[in-house]
Amino acid sequence: MPKFMYVFRGGGYATPDLLSPTEIQQHLAKWNAWTNELLAQGRLSGAQPLAHPPSGKTVRGRERIITDGPYAESKDLVSGTVIVVAASLEEAAELARGCPILELDGSVEVRPVIDTPNQA
Amino acid sequence: MSPVEDGSAYAVVDGLFRRESAHLVAALTRLLGPSHLALAEDVVHDALIGAMQAWRFGLPDDPKAWILRVAKNRAIDCLRRERRLEALDDTHLAGRSLEGAVELALSSEADAANQLAMMFAICDDALSPETHVTLILRFLCGLSPSEIARAFLVDVGTIDRRLHRGRTRLEQLGALHDASADEVRARQPSVEQALYLLFNEGYLGSDPENPLQPAMCADALRLVEVLLASNPLEHARVNALAALFCFDAARLPGRLDDTGVLTPLAEQDRAKWSRVLVDRGIVHLGESASGDLLTRWHLEAGIAFEHTRAQSFEETNWGKIVDYYDALLALTPGPVVALNRALALAELRGVDAGRAALALLDGHPKLTTYSFYWAALADLARRGGLLAEAKNMYARASALAKSRAERVSYERRILRLGE
Repeated sequence: MPKFMYVFRGGGYATPDLLSPTEIQQHLAKWNAWTNELLAQGRLSGAQPLAHPPSGKTVRGRERIITDGPYAESKDLVSGTVIVVAASLEEAAELARGCPILELDGSVEVRPVIDTPNQA
Repeated sequence: MSPVEDGSAYAVVDGLFRRESAHLVAALTRLLGPSHLALAEDVVHDALIGAMQAWRFGLPDDPKAWILRVAKNRAIDCLRRERRLEALDDTHLAGRSLEGAVELALSSEADAANQLAMMFAICDDALSPETHVTLILRFLCGLSPSEIARAFLVDVGTIDRRLHRGRTRLEQLGALHDASADEVRARQPSVEQALYLLFNEGYLGSDPENPLQPAMCADALRLVEVLLASNPLEHARVNALAALFCFDAARLPGRLDDTGVLTPLAEQDRAKWSRVLVDRGIVHLGESASGDLLTRWHLEAGIAFEHTRAQSFEETNWGKIVDYYDALLALTPGPVVALNRALALAELRGVDAGRAALALLDGHPKLTTYSFYWAALADLARRGGLLAEAKNMYARASALAKSRAERVSYERRILRLGE
């Protein structure tokens, strides 16, 4: 079965006044229910949550200049990725519609992962 | 952490984020100083969002420790980067490393002291009792402005204004120190009153969908027990308040039936009441009697205790309850106390005595819009055989009811009149 990568952006970067601790925990419970379901269906084959607040470095150009942090707008910041198994890109996109990140103005980018055949 | 592999452990303890938020905001505000309250809130919010992001695909072994570690690291970063070291006075550093000082400030051992300092700082005379409760819900219970607004049935703007006043006042304080003996004695009544309001809001609040908020009652009980850790305090009073909370909270599980409708005391299933909380209340009640002090909390706790100890509604010691209400009326006169006394009197001396006592309250401006007053009149009219009058009064109670749980309870009593 083909594999697809979900790239999660934004979602949950609200200010303290907008999202209460209870609401954050409830949102987490929705994520856990969603990923649990993918897991139960045997569709989840890897997950990489990224640290928050966003930190990291970016290396750029021939000069290999290292700069601090990802400087994207918070709604464009990648907050994690997962690999799912699906029959087609359409099915993978349909599955992503259940992702809780969409409730907090986030997005899921769905990308086909290329199988490398000689990696037996 | 074990991402993906373990699908069984996907549950975070109920209320964990809210409790940790309260614990950490108090600790960080004390560490960084109240002028950095907003920074403390940001640090905690970031830690919780970070936990949410990180745990989407699997939980850590010790979620609480995870949140604490992240908040600690963020606090250290903030202190270093923004050169806020001067905010840490000698009492916090006292020869310790920065890490050591932050760790100690956020430890569970320091929790009670942190929350006490916060509670006494909040219950400032310059702020209203409503503002005290709002600030307690925000900073010591971890509720958002919209959650507080929903609980009190006021608009978010009102809550934001109260929070703003509170923040401004807190920021004027140089440090969130342990309250001095004088301050504790001066502010104790305000703190008690705020916790009493908090408890009542949970016992029967303004939220029409969820009039009972057991979590709020549990918070009030938790904080009143934290209060007992303060030395200069008058402990007998606080123990009486804690006993009252225990006895009332014990009866919460019996207050709604399976369809979410409020059940009158006479019809409650007493087997549902919490024995554990009753026992805890009895311990507090015993300690409340350590002096010759008799406060309204003592009397209210006494009344609640008589209800919880009775095997049935009929076997309740109504004589003792009426005595307590008489003493309470002398101490804190008010129409609601008089109303409850009249109901107890009806059980002790009969319906006519109860109706006569209620008649004295006729036309009281505070009662004409109080649904429980009309329901009390209706209940006694029904028992006196005046069914048409009872129906009228139940209809008025129903129209004034603040929640579905309450309204349906009256509607059912109207239906039963016809049986």
